[in-house]
Amino acid sequence: MGRVITITSGKGGVGKTTTTANLGTALAMQGGRVAVVDADIGLRNLDVVMGLENRIVYDLVDVVEGRARLRQALIKDKRLPELCLLPAAQTRDKDAVSPEQMTELTNQLRAEFDYVLVDSPAGIEGGFRNAIAGADQVIIVTTPEVSAVRDADRIVGLVEAAEKGPPSLIVNRLKPRLVSRGEMLSVDDVLDLLAITLIGIVPDDETIVTATNRGEAAVYDPQSQAGRAFVHIARRLNGEEVPFPALQDGQGMLERLFGMFGRRRS
Amino acid sequence: MGFFDNLFGRRERSAQVAKQRLMMVLVDDRYKLTPEMLEQMKLEMAEVLSRYLPAVDPEQIEVTLLRGEATDYLKADIPLKRGGE
Repeated sequence: MGRVITITSGKGGVGKTTTTANLGTALAMQGGRVAVVDADIGLRNLDVVMGLENRIVYDLVDVVEGRARLRQALIKDKRLPELCLLPAAQTRDKDAVSPEQMTELTNQLRAEFDYVLVDSPAGIEGGFRNAIAGADQVIIVTTPEVSAVRDADRIVGLVEAAEKGPPSLIVNRLKPRLVSRGEMLSVDDVLDLLAITLIGIVPDDETIVTATNRGEAAVYDPQSQAGRAFVHIARRLNGEEVPFPALQDGQGMLERLFGMFGRRRS
Repeated sequence: MGFFDNLFGRRERSAQVAKQRLMMVLVDDRYKLTPEMLEQMKLEMAEVLSRYLPAVDPEQIEVTLLRGEATDYLKADIPLKRGGE
């Protein structure tokens, strides 16, 4: 039985879809059978990010409403035969699906895949509730910015209230140079504020833009720092202990030097 | 700290400002405790403490929220004037 992992954030534009595409690809490269599900109904995007937009015949709502079988709607990745996408409907809205139907769907997928990654829509309403309905684990993506961290905290509260277990955190688009100048929240700052477990630090990286332009995951590009960070996260999801890169140690030191709130709790 | 920063014309780093602002916002979001209520709370804390300790200045009390996995902690730093005039 596979694991259902929902990737969510609260705030839009922090990199949920990029994260889902890259983690899905990395997990499949590591030998897992992976289904990625676009739960952003009405604002379909995971397909273009993965370069699969031309292959869509059926979508998630077609499956839920019985017009297509799950097998028919799943799209195979171009390179990795063990990676599949279930696209969102583009012409319906988020109320087309209920949390019960989403749970049913992810349970079906779980039977055939090792990992089911659900890309959640932004916000805290119905679409988000659908996305976490069937989740065994929730990953919250944030950037080191006040608005994103604030919304992430709301999500932490909602995930706890939904009894989904403690969520884990990805800090995305970190700019280490700004952090070392004290002009960007550090990973330690974000952890102090949100008090959840860190699963990944992804540096801000232009290769994400070029990879997304081409519809290829950055994890294929050995030059991509962000891609490497996603590979590390995938390995952590696989249960491997992967140390966090040195940039975080550097920050920790600075943090202690400036240290107002510097102490970490666990 | 603010005093010395002003004295030497040094501005607080924006990350630190962001963190402090966020701390306040999260307290408000989670506990419906507005900055005004927090100020009022400090005044009342000073009032109670002054019954037992001389010279507690409400202006000097610093209250921060510390996040834990299952529990949050309210931490208050209350400087006491030495000699207690």
